[in-house]
Amino acid sequence: MTLNRRGLLAGATGIGAAGLGALAACSSPTAGEPLRSGRADLTLWTHDPGYATFFTDAAADAGLVGDSAWTYSVAVTSVAPPDIISRLINQAVAQRPLPNMAGLELGQFPRMMRDGIAENLLADLTPLTDALGDGLLKTQPYTVDGKVYALESDNSVSVLFYRADEFERLGIPADVATWEELLDIGAQVAADTGQAIGMVSNGGNTEIVQGYMQALFQRGGGLYDADGDLIVLSEENIEVLELMARGVSTGALLPLADPYGSATAAALKESRLIATVMPNWYKVYGLEANVPDQAGLWRARTIPRYANGGGIASTLGGTAFGVVKDQVLTDAALDFLQRCYLTPEGQLARYAAGAYLPTLADLYDTPDFQNLTDPYLGDQRIFEVYGAAAAELPVFYQAADLAVLRDSLGGPILRALNGQTGAEDALREGVDAYERQVSP
Amino acid sequence: MTATTDTAATRRHRAQIRQRRWAPYLFISPFFILFTCFMVVPIGAGVYLSLTRWAGLGSPEYIGLDNYVRLFGDQSFGASLANTAFYTAFALAVVLPASLLIAQALDARGLKLRDLFRLVYFLPVVLSPIIIALIFGLIFDGEYGLVNAVMEALFGFGGVSWLTDPWWARIVVVVLVLWRWTGYLTIFFLAGMQAIPRELHEAAEVDGAGPVRRFFSVTLPQLRPVTAFIAVTMLVNTAQIFEEPFLLTQGGPGESTLSVSMFVYRAAFQRQELGYAAAAGVVMFAIVFALGRIGSSALGVGRTR
Repeated sequence: MTLNRRGLLAGATGIGAAGLGALAACSSPTAGEPLRSGRADLTLWTHDPGYATFFTDAAADAGLVGDSAWTYSVAVTSVAPPDIISRLINQAVAQRPLPNMAGLELGQFPRMMRDGIAENLLADLTPLTDALGDGLLKTQPYTVDGKVYALESDNSVSVLFYRADEFERLGIPADVATWEELLDIGAQVAADTGQAIGMVSNGGNTEIVQGYMQALFQRGGGLYDADGDLIVLSEENIEVLELMARGVSTGALLPLADPYGSATAAALKESRLIATVMPNWYKVYGLEANVPDQAGLWRARTIPRYANGGGIASTLGGTAFGVVKDQVLTDAALDFLQRCYLTPEGQLARYAAGAYLPTLADLYDTPDFQNLTDPYLGDQRIFEVYGAAAAELPVFYQAADLAVLRDSLGGPILRALNGQTGAEDALREGVDAYERQVSP
Repeated sequence: MTATTDTAATRRHRAQIRQRRWAPYLFISPFFILFTCFMVVPIGAGVYLSLTRWAGLGSPEYIGLDNYVRLFGDQSFGASLANTAFYTAFALAVVLPASLLIAQALDARGLKLRDLFRLVYFLPVVLSPIIIALIFGLIFDGEYGLVNAVMEALFGFGGVSWLTDPWWARIVVVVLVLWRWTGYLTIFFLAGMQAIPRELHEAAEVDGAGPVRRFFSVTLPQLRPVTAFIAVTMLVNTAQIFEEPFLLTQGGPGESTLSVSMFVYRAAFQRQELGYAAAAGVVMFAIVFALGRIGSSALGVGRTR
């Protein structure tokens, strides 16, 4: 058989047309009459394989979805956290298929708060959350104009992880009452042995500001109030930064670029860093990942209070799931998310799947959770600590310009931590830079 | 009958002429169609977008030149321009001469392991930027970094905050640029040097020229077209630098290593200010275009000798 030019062109055109037809057949219908029951093949975008496993298993878990009007399956696409929002917007603008559910990282969510993006893309979850009232924790950061658009997966309760063996050897009481006391002890330890009882980030702006936020939430401070107004220059915020700078200057707090990076791993490995305030998930991603050989040596406790006020807990990070609105499977996705995230069974399954802490406050006191022990933490009944911390979980708010604030505060906070400027001056400088940049 | 045949033949002839007249345009049309779709339209859309306020969804709101006014009063944009100028000046003043000198060394007659050296110098270009950034992060870490450890061992001090001090962070970024791109440019210079006729060097040697004189009187003039091309390419590429500061320092500490490309990215994909990002992109385009034209014109890129 000979192939001439005309034949080649005709063949190529035919293959192209067939390919287009095949591609069109692959697309799934996203618009149309809502499906009220039956088979619901949900699509999900997330960055975390843990959530992918949980939702995939939950779809087949009769205990969770057995009595639902829908029969679920979940197809997961792995997408990096910043790209999830970018792609949601791109797909919506291009009128291409959107996922039914999307995992939105806490720090990325402010992008959804600008110009009605959340309102236009996501289903309002307030009817689901209202019924639970204050019993459902951490809805505020995902609230826009009084409406909740995503449900948090993990409370990310911050506690003090510490090396019980090192504390005992150095004579540090495990029940120190205040930060001020702990920093004094830390200064002495640093002078004697070079070890640190905490860390601060001196890496990127995001890490620097997140570390600061964790400390100031505990003190009762914040970056924005419920109306989205800036509250950076509050007394609490200044006090916290002063205390952190004092800790760095005495060596009690060790400056490390990235809490998950190699330098932190080295500090943990050589027992230079013997305590740190971090959220519950740091035990898995920070401690167990970097120092598995220290299993049984670590313990957790609630964070010492500040002498001037505040609570015994804080929070850092998190990922919430939202449901894309106005799709055939929107109702099905809402039902699925409610079953997975707002029922005791769903919360227990989530903890079993990836150690995600419950967001329903009442569950911390139930035997299902109270009886759990953690081998890495020396078989400690860990929910005694998490429960106490969750009871005082600070409430905080986000705003559309949070990314601008992070970039504005990062440099000045770092200089304050290094002792190159005062805490109040640093925060004022950051606020000035922020106000120059935000759109009127 | 004859008249009918004549008319048909004339029609066919005219159709053939028409076909021949349109054929060249048809053949060159793919370039223009693609150029319009992927260059003209995006640039036009970018310019239009720069005159709007748009978060990504809904209709862009026309605001005239407000984004440009805001841009030129934005200290962050000023910082990113200054940082980019620093990176570009360093690339031209250090990376370019360094690669020329390395190429000269590799071009030496009788050099053993020449291919191994070429491979080693070229290696940074093919390594993943993410791996490079991780390795540089380890080397320059303030607490546990290799550089500080070596300095401590050799000189008794090693407490330099390489990545957390604004000035040192800029230096580390340009060191990364130097390490990453010198080998790549060396390959171009080496290719240029190997194209220089040996007779020219031999004639200069006979006339009593030493190695330094031969370098300045033979090698450099002969390399002028290559040097001009590399200089302009480096200028344009460095003016759009993104990967090195983004992966190594994320623009920090503060905004001390922020480049203009990062500024555009940050405005668009971290702050959802697409109109503002487009305005910064248009300004960057204008600057890079102008620098590229000035460089090409001054160095005679594309001119026949």
